[in-house]
Amino acid sequence: MDNVRILEIKQSVFADNDRDADKVRQELKQKKVFLLNLMSSPGSGKTTTLSRTIEKLKDRLRIGVMEADIDSDVDARAIARLGVRAIQLHTGGMCHLDADMTRQGLWGIGTDELDLVVLENVGNLVCPAEFDTGAVKNAMILSVPEGHDKPLKYPLMFSICDVVLINKVDVLPYFDFDMDKCREYVRMRNPNARVIPICARTGEGIDAWADWLEQQVRAWQQDDQ
Amino acid sequence: MHELGILSAMVKTIEVVAREEKLQRIEKIVLQVGELSGAVPSYLESCYPAAVYKTFLQDTRLELEIVPGIARCNQCGEEFNAVACDLQCPACGSRALTALSGRELVIKEIEGC
Repeated sequence: MDNVRILEIKQSVFADNDRDADKVRQELKQKKVFLLNLMSSPGSGKTTTLSRTIEKLKDRLRIGVMEADIDSDVDARAIARLGVRAIQLHTGGMCHLDADMTRQGLWGIGTDELDLVVLENVGNLVCPAEFDTGAVKNAMILSVPEGHDKPLKYPLMFSICDVVLINKVDVLPYFDFDMDKCREYVRMRNPNARVIPICARTGEGIDAWADWLEQQVRAWQQDDQ
Repeated sequence: MHELGILSAMVKTIEVVAREEKLQRIEKIVLQVGELSGAVPSYLESCYPAAVYKTFLQDTRLELEIVPGIARCNQCGEEFNAVACDLQCPACGSRALTALSGRELVIKEIEGC
């Protein structure tokens, strides 16, 4: 007769992924490579923002980009044209990347001689927030047409982000987007998140964002903790 | 399908526990699902067979325990059910809240041998 027993577990369903993500961060620390996890909904301007960021930083940092999508390689091709190392990751239908998939991506791109790797996560404000990828910092883009109430609707995403880029500010006159309300809602979810308004198309605000990112990379590389 | 990713992550976490506890067979998993977790209980149930298909959890049962979403108002300190009150303080109307419970996606217990 089997002795069925009840084991009290009390572990988050994400416990295994969280441990794995910590390992990824340790591996990156040893190699002095900074991983940025860039998230947003589809069409908010991730690839365009990334392109502007690379133009600003490619003479200051050695950059690699991992483009995660359910299918296609259009984004990786667009980024590779800027002269940085780029690979495309396919999630096989999954709507997010986990730490193990991120590690495989880092293997694929080869982190030797890179300072900064940007992971462009799958366009989605729900699942990527739950899966720690092992990134050093999380950034998200909220574009003006999406509306200023998104921090209320997707609280977890905003609570895990170190920086929120508000993109497409050039179209502010045409939308009922309240920038002050948006800042207030972000603060409610995450008092430590930095908010930077940008316009990837015109380049507005990209300097402030690129400087912030470069500082984070340098701090990560210099800090021996 | 957001719930499928959550369950796939759960399978991996349970694999580690089963190895540590030297479990040969698992019969039931009790999962706590918070009302503020963003996961929909009925979707968790309906995609469970797909999430465990061809894993060592294939023949197991999933039991859900719903944890109410209780929040405290950052303005006036009122405590209330955040879902019933539509994420707004019923006393003062503020939307600045701190979740006290309800964000759980926690493996509470496993039955096995």
